[in-house]
Amino acid sequence: MFAAPGAALASNAAGKTAKTSGSVHKEKTRAKGPAANARSTARAGAAGRPSSAKEAKEARSAKSRKAGTAVVAAAATSATAARTTRKPAPAGAIQEASNAEARLIAVYEMFGRGQTRPALAKARDLVRDYPNFQLAQLVYGDLLAAQLPPSNSLPDTASIAKMRGNPAMAELHEESKRRLQALRDRPPANTVPSQFLALSTRSRYAIAVDASRSRLYLFENSDKGLKLTADYYISVGKAGTDKVTEGDARTPLGVYYITSSLDPKSLKDFYGAGALPINYPNPYDVRRGKTGGGIWLHGTPPQQFARAPLASDGCVVMANPDLRQLLRKVQIGATPVVTARSLQWISQPQAEKESQSITSAINGWKDARASGNEAQLKKFYLPDFQRSSKKSNEGISVVDDEVKYAQGKRVQLKDMSYLHWKDGDDTMVVTFGEVFEGEKSGRSRRQYWLRQGTDWKLFHEEILG
Amino acid sequence: MPKSPRPRARFSFSPTVRALLLAAATCGVALPALAAIEHEEVDKLMQAGKLDEAMVKAEAFLKDKPRDPQMRFLKGVIQLDTGKRNEAIAAFTQLTLDAPELPEPYNNLAVIYASQNQFDKARAALESAIRTNPSYATAQENLGDVYARLASQAYSKALQLDQNNTAVQPKLAVIRTLFTPTPPGAKPTALIAAAPAPAPVAKAAPAPAPAPVAPPPAKVAAAPAPVAAAPKPPETAPAPAPAPAPAASATANAEVESAVRAWASAWASQDMDRYLAAYGPDFTPAGGQSRKNWEEDRRARIVGKSSISVNIENLAIKVDGQNATARFRQIYRADNLNVSSRKTLEMQRSGNQWHIRKESVGG
Repeated sequence: MFAAPGAALASNAAGKTAKTSGSVHKEKTRAKGPAANARSTARAGAAGRPSSAKEAKEARSAKSRKAGTAVVAAAATSATAARTTRKPAPAGAIQEASNAEARLIAVYEMFGRGQTRPALAKARDLVRDYPNFQLAQLVYGDLLAAQLPPSNSLPDTASIAKMRGNPAMAELHEESKRRLQALRDRPPANTVPSQFLALSTRSRYAIAVDASRSRLYLFENSDKGLKLTADYYISVGKAGTDKVTEGDARTPLGVYYITSSLDPKSLKDFYGAGALPINYPNPYDVRRGKTGGGIWLHGTPPQQFARAPLASDGCVVMANPDLRQLLRKVQIGATPVVTARSLQWISQPQAEKESQSITSAINGWKDARASGNEAQLKKFYLPDFQRSSKKSNEGISVVDDEVKYAQGKRVQLKDMSYLHWKDGDDTMVVTFGEVFEGEKSGRSRRQYWLRQGTDWKLFHEEILG
Repeated sequence: MPKSPRPRARFSFSPTVRALLLAAATCGVALPALAAIEHEEVDKLMQAGKLDEAMVKAEAFLKDKPRDPQMRFLKGVIQLDTGKRNEAIAAFTQLTLDAPELPEPYNNLAVIYASQNQFDKARAALESAIRTNPSYATAQENLGDVYARLASQAYSKALQLDQNNTAVQPKLAVIRTLFTPTPPGAKPTALIAAAPAPAPVAKAAPAPAPAPVAPPPAKVAAAPAPVAAAPKPPETAPAPAPAPAPAASATANAEVESAVRAWASAWASQDMDRYLAAYGPDFTPAGGQSRKNWEEDRRARIVGKSSISVNIENLAIKVDGQNATARFRQIYRADNLNVSSRKTLEMQRSGNQWHIRKESVGG
């Protein structure tokens, strides 16, 4: 039986990391090592974790872009927002949003239609069910304040005015804006994020994060392709995205995989319902000298249903109910996570077209290996090519060995996944399984390719199992 | 939300309430007239601060007529005034069950809940009060206070601020007696006020028919007891605010507000003694009139009316040491007159009391 690329890593990683990495987090404490896979080293644990209190405090102080909103009557903002949503947001889209968010949007819409009383009642139910949903509290407060007579003689008038002027309100307004925007501007039908050129059905789900919208999109993968099944509000690093160095409080941009699922019992409350580390820095990141680590998708602390759009030290933070849905679905080692500044959406034919060049490169590599032509095979490797393996005693470590390994046998590559990442460079993360003629199973490999001119070259390979 | 007029002393009632009250009043054994007198006596004792006596009288009455809503209500107010909150809650709650059409028990439940920091329960009670009687101004106004506090709390939670709200507790107005029409045949007796006919307050200005229930002959009409004769703030106030500094000025504000409302209430109930007592010794009537002439003038203008209502809206109070200025919109209705005007009262403190020093239109 052929082992799934992911399953092999899963059995390997899950067992190992679950024990140790519960206490390993945050890039500050991350032990530096060349291998991205050495994530579960126990020694970082002793260094202690970043003070979550500090992160929480810093999260609050994150600056919002819209300082002006502090003065604007928030109710008016909500109303405007509701009005703009109402037109284009298809009902289906709203149902896909998490329950609390959908209910919040319903309040906006009611208020936008002038149904003030029902909106107030719904908002009250919402804050009763989610008392820590700060944005919902703000909306409820706005709706109540809208009911007040225009008088300044009430004992609470001054405190209301003062709190409305609180700079932290701007973060909530920004959260509101982003939630509405994500629900208003839906991905075009029958499109996928441009990174997902091909995804093996061994990956049953795929995740894409659009930082500009504070949104995480969850796709279900089948032989019919990727289908968007849900999307959630998320927070990213308080300094934004494009992580470069340790401690820069940015969320990395790139294509990654979930590497483990941490037991929430082993975590501080701060991380909520659980945590899903990703393999930042991946080989491409390492090649470019990016540092840091301990980037997780995790939940929220008990006192906060959601956090500000820019709040974390680089992690992707989701509301706990949303994260729980994700936890049920992800496969360790096999669920890809794309984090983009702003996702581009492409059609299936477009994706196939864009994968042609890498497909022919892979086939060229395979044929060169099978033919035993070392000189020809060497052309596919960059001089600084590195290979890492989960099984350190694995015999092969140099290019020449590939030829011996293949022994001229016919080989079938299957379960191909292409994840395309383009920033300054053009890279491709290719995952596949190989089965030699006459054998029932074989290796799973994850290869990192870099485009040089018109040629694709390998600079890193992981043997998954 | 409809603008909330601020007459704590008056409200209208629906025909169903009236019918219910009449039914309740007439099915008992005691004479209706007697009942009205008993209610008045208890009410007067309460106003005089003789709460124990009032309670004894109320309980004696309820022995005979245990279901009488007005007396049960008065008893609830006495319990409230004497700090027996749980008993008062039980009394008012039972009234809301037995007579769900009455807004007053809901209102007073809300007052108690608010004093216990249970603002959402207070809100629910007030919304019930308003459902039973949409033009019930006191409940509307109380609801405004509660909404403001709930909004303030929601904003604190939105900002994750410390929940120790330093703002002064909103002070909700207690209704001190049910607005019950005096049953037919009742003697006017020693009513403090030859009180206004139950002209619907608030927006429904032109009363469809004056005093629809009470037969006109005895010019009594339905006489609402002089409701809320300036609810004594110390008794009705919910727990005092924890922060002492803002509380001081707030207390002064509340005292002035209470004085203004007492003045309006005395005027509306044509209680000349209380009305004139609202003016301090150094009050100077406008136009160089002597105090004596002015008093006679006022008496003639007030006592002669068959009914008066004085509503106060948009009350703004500024306290400066021993002096205060109260500006508001005064909506005055008497007989066929309906005048809305800006008014400014300049007040002066003497001891615990605030007295009017100057009264002027406009401002």
